[in-house]
Amino acid sequence: MNATDLCRMDVMTLASDIRVKHLSPSQVVNAVLERMKGLESRIRAFYAPTADRQRRAAGAWRSSVDGAPGIDEDSPTPLGIQASAGNPAMWSGFGMAYIGAMIGGLIQQGCPLHVVLTALCSLFDAVAEGYCSSVFLFDRGATRVRHAVGPGLPANYMKGLRGTRLGGVEQMKASAGQPDALALFSHALADSRGEQPVLALPTVPGLRWYVSAPILSLTGEVLGTFAVYQRDGRRDGRRCHAVLIEQFSGLAGIAIERLRSEEALRRSEALLAKAQQLSSTGSFCWHLERDEITWSKELYRLFELDSGLAVSRELIEERMHPDDVPSFREVLERARGGVDDFEYELRVRLPDDSVRYLHVVAHGMRDQEGQLEYIGAVQDVTQRHNSEEALARLRVELARVARTTSLGALTASIAHEVNQPLAGIMTNASTCRRMLAADPPDVAGARETAQRAIRDAERAAQVIKRLRALFARKGTTSESLDLNEATREVVALSLSELQRNRVILRTELADDLPRVQGDRVQLQQVILNLLLNASEAMSTIDTRPRVLLVRTEPDQDLHVRLSVQDAGSGYLPEEAGRLFEAFYSTKKDGMGIGLSVSRSIIESHHGRLWATRNEGPGATFSFSVPQRP
Amino acid sequence: MRGLVSVVDDDVSMRESLPDLMRQLGFEAQAFSSAEEFLASNHASQTRCLIVDVGLPRMSGLELVAELTRRGQRISTIFITAQNDRALRAQILAQGAIACLEKPFTEPALLEAIAIAVKTENGAQRREGCSEDKGHEHQD
Repeated sequence: MNATDLCRMDVMTLASDIRVKHLSPSQVVNAVLERMKGLESRIRAFYAPTADRQRRAAGAWRSSVDGAPGIDEDSPTPLGIQASAGNPAMWSGFGMAYIGAMIGGLIQQGCPLHVVLTALCSLFDAVAEGYCSSVFLFDRGATRVRHAVGPGLPANYMKGLRGTRLGGVEQMKASAGQPDALALFSHALADSRGEQPVLALPTVPGLRWYVSAPILSLTGEVLGTFAVYQRDGRRDGRRCHAVLIEQFSGLAGIAIERLRSEEALRRSEALLAKAQQLSSTGSFCWHLERDEITWSKELYRLFELDSGLAVSRELIEERMHPDDVPSFREVLERARGGVDDFEYELRVRLPDDSVRYLHVVAHGMRDQEGQLEYIGAVQDVTQRHNSEEALARLRVELARVARTTSLGALTASIAHEVNQPLAGIMTNASTCRRMLAADPPDVAGARETAQRAIRDAERAAQVIKRLRALFARKGTTSESLDLNEATREVVALSLSELQRNRVILRTELADDLPRVQGDRVQLQQVILNLLLNASEAMSTIDTRPRVLLVRTEPDQDLHVRLSVQDAGSGYLPEEAGRLFEAFYSTKKDGMGIGLSVSRSIIESHHGRLWATRNEGPGATFSFSVPQRP
Repeated sequence: MRGLVSVVDDDVSMRESLPDLMRQLGFEAQAFSSAEEFLASNHASQTRCLIVDVGLPRMSGLELVAELTRRGQRISTIFITAQNDRALRAQILAQGAIACLEKPFTEPALLEAIAIAVKTENGAQRREGCSEDKGHEHQD
């Protein structure tokens, strides 16, 4: 066993005592002192040969602490500087390591600052026989004493010191860090006569101010002072070793800083927790290599899981709306693929079967070891979503009305254009029949009217042809565009509609897809049409998931292909030829315009649109358009 | 001869076919491609029955009839239209037209309207449409 093991063991025992027995601050200090007492004999056993030599050399090795609650003033302390004359470095080194670990353990256990400082002073007092230590904590800027701890000093005396205004701090600050520092520090807190501390206080009977060492932060800020008093009985010249004072004041500095930063951390954590609660936003950290997921308390609440539960993908998926699982997995796969930011929405199904909508934003980055890590925020958007859903429903309704209206207008226009020649055909036919029925029949006239009827019929056919051309020609603009981006926009627009139809949308958009040249809005109309068709084709499917897959990929002959695959009812082989005919529809209330218009749009982009029957259920509609030259 | 039927329609099929049919029925017939052309001709006073398209360019069929009325010429008028506008048709009938026939109209419908027009010559007020129009008013 070495010093470190010994410390660790004691600290662990002490820690469990603090936790299990709920020790009060004074009990903690006593427990520490108890350990200190036992320490001496344990050290002695460990260093037996050396200790014996030392005892012989110093002639002063007698356990004074064992069995006695306080400090026996008549005996040298085991860890005291005076006692370790034989090998001061070893003893003070060992002792300080132990004390350091003790104090560290107390901080780790969440002991409040005054408990830790009281323990520190008690330890000093136990170590430096004949001396009594105290810690005066200054406020920020070191203008007043904020806190005073000195277990060996009268309580009233310490109490009276709180709030005392300081003097000469500037001087002390200026001297900090200089070579002969300790000596300067003691002067710094002394007045011009060099005898009394600047914290002018009534003297304590039986005690005399001995020395003060500043307690400094790592950045050199003065946090307080470690003041040591000498008991009157010890004026015999046995001096308290400067190194010991320096070490304790250093330890005090570490303790104060640690606790302050922990308090600050706790405070900021509390603030964050409150903020998360108020904004219904949770946060998470996902370390990919280690597959470690850490959640904030609020996030546990959003998922209605017990906080502290180990978070795993399975656990998340269990809570997730089943329809969202595939897209969730897809997001994870993409995240695994490389550092990226992602943003998506998912639904959580709560134990009471209600649904909570969560909006996730995550930022990918590399940690210090270069490993991939995501931090993110998760916001409860259920309320927003509900109102948006209502709005989306209205929008869809409006779109439907608008579509019907425009189709109605289109129907009227088609009717008008076709009825004109039809009227001609009928009138000509009537005339023709009369001419043939006359006596004698007017054959030449009949031939002429028949010819006119034929001409009118051709005219009607022309009208249809012209109307079809009109579909593809509406305000065309041509630009270079990213089909993936265009697809994402359409997907974003139709997502709520798809979700309402319980469609599970999957996208496989090829990276580095070549750009195409064309009319963005028209191509998007085609994509939207294919998406909505696919969604409608699955509206009656309940025996299998309504999976809709949108895929983009480079196609042969410098083309780019987009396909929309559904798991719907599909079409019969004999229907294949008619799918793209205008006014042909397999849908109950379909107008049969969409696909024919879509095809004419794609053809105007020098591409083609076709359908294939899936190996499984459903159909795939694809179009392929040339890359941008 | 049973008198002159004037056809005013911007659609050439009608201008060609309707006069021929009218002649087969024993009328004289004359075609005009616009309201202005008809007004400019001196056929209005001789016209026994006017067949006019509702949706003429510039001056519409209704405006033509209004103009004729203003000039004191009341002619039995049959409107024809390629549009299915019920409100407009009601308005036309309310203003005293013999009938308002929707293209493509049948021969019997046209003949019935012509027969009424000839009987109520000189613009007697009639609200009744032809048989094809009857009974359609309250549908949909």
